[in-house]
Amino acid sequence: MNTIEVNNISKTFGSQKALDEVSFEVKPGEIFGLLGPNGAGKTTCIRIVLDIFKPDSGSVKLFGNGMSEEKKDQIGYLPEERGLYQDINLEECLNYLASLKGLSSSESHKRINEYLIRFNLDEHKKKKVKELSKGMQQKAQLITTLVHDPKLIIIDEPFSALDPLNTQMVKDILREQRDLGKTIVMCTHQMHQVEELCDRLVLINQGKSVLYGALSEVQKNYAGHAIHVRTEDQIPASLPGMNKFKRLENHHHYQIDLDSQVSPQDFLKTLVAANIKINQFEIAMPTLDEIFIQVVTESGMKYE
Amino acid sequence: MKKTLIVLKNELLTTIKRKSFILTLLLLPLIGLIFTLVVGNRDQTSGITSLISKLTTTEEEKLSIGLLDDTRNITKIPDELKDQIKLYTTKESANIDLGSGFIKAFYFIPEDYVQKGEIVVYRPDFNPLSAGNDNYLIETLINSALLSENPEIMNLVSTAPKFKTELLSPEPQRDPGHQLTFFLPYIVTFLFYIVILGSSSMMLNSITNEKSNRVIEILLTSITPMQLLSGKIVALGLVGLLQTIVWSGTGLFILRLSGRSFALPIEFQLPTSILVWGIIFFILGYILYASLMAGVGALVSNLKEASQATTILVIPMVIPLVLLAPVIQNPNGALAIFLSLFPFTSPVSMMTRLSAGNVPFWQILLAIILLLVSAYWIVRSVSSFFRAQYLLSGKEFKIKYFIDAMLGKS
Repeated sequence: MNTIEVNNISKTFGSQKALDEVSFEVKPGEIFGLLGPNGAGKTTCIRIVLDIFKPDSGSVKLFGNGMSEEKKDQIGYLPEERGLYQDINLEECLNYLASLKGLSSSESHKRINEYLIRFNLDEHKKKKVKELSKGMQQKAQLITTLVHDPKLIIIDEPFSALDPLNTQMVKDILREQRDLGKTIVMCTHQMHQVEELCDRLVLINQGKSVLYGALSEVQKNYAGHAIHVRTEDQIPASLPGMNKFKRLENHHHYQIDLDSQVSPQDFLKTLVAANIKINQFEIAMPTLDEIFIQVVTESGMKYE
Repeated sequence: MKKTLIVLKNELLTTIKRKSFILTLLLLPLIGLIFTLVVGNRDQTSGITSLISKLTTTEEEKLSIGLLDDTRNITKIPDELKDQIKLYTTKESANIDLGSGFIKAFYFIPEDYVQKGEIVVYRPDFNPLSAGNDNYLIETLINSALLSENPEIMNLVSTAPKFKTELLSPEPQRDPGHQLTFFLPYIVTFLFYIVILGSSSMMLNSITNEKSNRVIEILLTSITPMQLLSGKIVALGLVGLLQTIVWSGTGLFILRLSGRSFALPIEFQLPTSILVWGIIFFILGYILYASLMAGVGALVSNLKEASQATTILVIPMVIPLVLLAPVIQNPNGALAIFLSLFPFTSPVSMMTRLSAGNVPFWQILLAIILLLVSAYWIVRSVSSFFRAQYLLSGKEFKIKYFIDAMLGKS
């Protein structure tokens, strides 16, 4: 049973089509990337999954069927626009939000205290939320997302405005949650984070799903006919099967485009035959950033 | 249901614990107390009252006034006025005392007073309020001197006639001549205005606050908009009731404390029926205005817009206050009847009428029915657009959107 099944959902606001027949599945225990440029419809998609918005058409299944009161308590959500009550103290704020997720008063006190200690917020718990620094508020928001031990965690731009230290902490927490068997949906446009963390992904652009699958598959599909080679020798100006080559940032690092009928395997033989000492030989995988830009520009998005 | 209760409890506690709330809750009765004690009882000589009246009396007021009577009618100052009036025999001595500040004013009654009716007053500066008081003293003194041979007539002259009213209505309530009867409708009207407006504004604040803090999105992943709305409506309604109880409770306490005939004569006590009507009109008026405010709250994007929007909602609430005097003077006139039936003004205006006089039962009933129907309609339309789409949008507020949304055109 998939944790989330999104089937052909569409949503229109006024004259703007925010989502157009989007479908994807999120499997239990994976970190799933929901990607897209700003304004692509990611947040709308998440809000529909969370049952905050109703889709105009299509359906969403959570843990096998529709949303219910109990299921809301199984989901932890970190919205892009972070929100906490500013005028009450941190502890009260966290306890109220936890109680709305179905935790009893004693349970929520216990767990919140554990998290406050872990996140170094313990000494600030009697302060008003507005007196806390932005980083502290982010951590507090993360407590709200995790405190009720949800089976499904949905986080929207989890790393925005975090310093490297806190970014690392959030990553560690996400990995830790995955190891605990939680399903995580991460919504972002920071591609290197996705490469590092996600197992599978969907890329939404202008409300449409334009790319969907396992990260490795996606990269393989977009791999051009190129290889990366590291060698201290000179690459000859022409070699059989070589279309062209260019030096990368490091002088001994080359990217070589191959003729379409030549396989990397054959070209490796050619290099060996040419008596070139090879320190490293690999098939050039496009970065997600490159794929992202390629897909998005292909699908008609203009840079603004 | 459980989550509605959590919202209710949280809303109730955070509102009651707020400093500004506690301050208003206590400050208003305190102001009332001070006002009653100082203004109402300056002449009283008991306990706190006399202490306060001492504090508010200026040095000048404690001085006596001088009097020289050339008509020779006033030969002796009565004992009870000896502290306040000093009789002189020559102008010179009086002028010396006035000049050196022993007396605050000097009244000279010329020989031809009986023909001309003119008295000359010398004072260092003019203060219309204390001058009036002093004039009254001299007037009383002259009258009693002139009528000293006819004490009965003197009595009639010095006391205002008593009007004893025989009411023909079935429920004799209060002494219509009692001065409290005059104030009561004002007090009741303002109390209702403040409580209904206050608690429904708290509704708007609470929602706008959650919107601008962006907590609303977190809330909506845990609860439905309806759970949020109903929890808030009940919680803030209870807060309003608490205010009503505290304020009217301290109001009664103040009346008792302030010494004068305030030992609450039976005729002053409000008939029990007005309390029942009061609770009904508060609840209905509160639901009507609180849901309107909630509707505005759903559409505005920040507190600034909210306060602009409130101004428009408050207008119908202010009308009963602006037209308070004519309604009280003529509680069964056309204007009073209209205002007390029109649902947006009836919660306040009907209470004004009920405290000012008798209202035919059918009118109270009709007002309740009209209010009930409008409150139902408003709650229904507000709940139709109190939804995530509006709660999460940052669109600029316009009255037109609000009206459209209320009418179901989105």
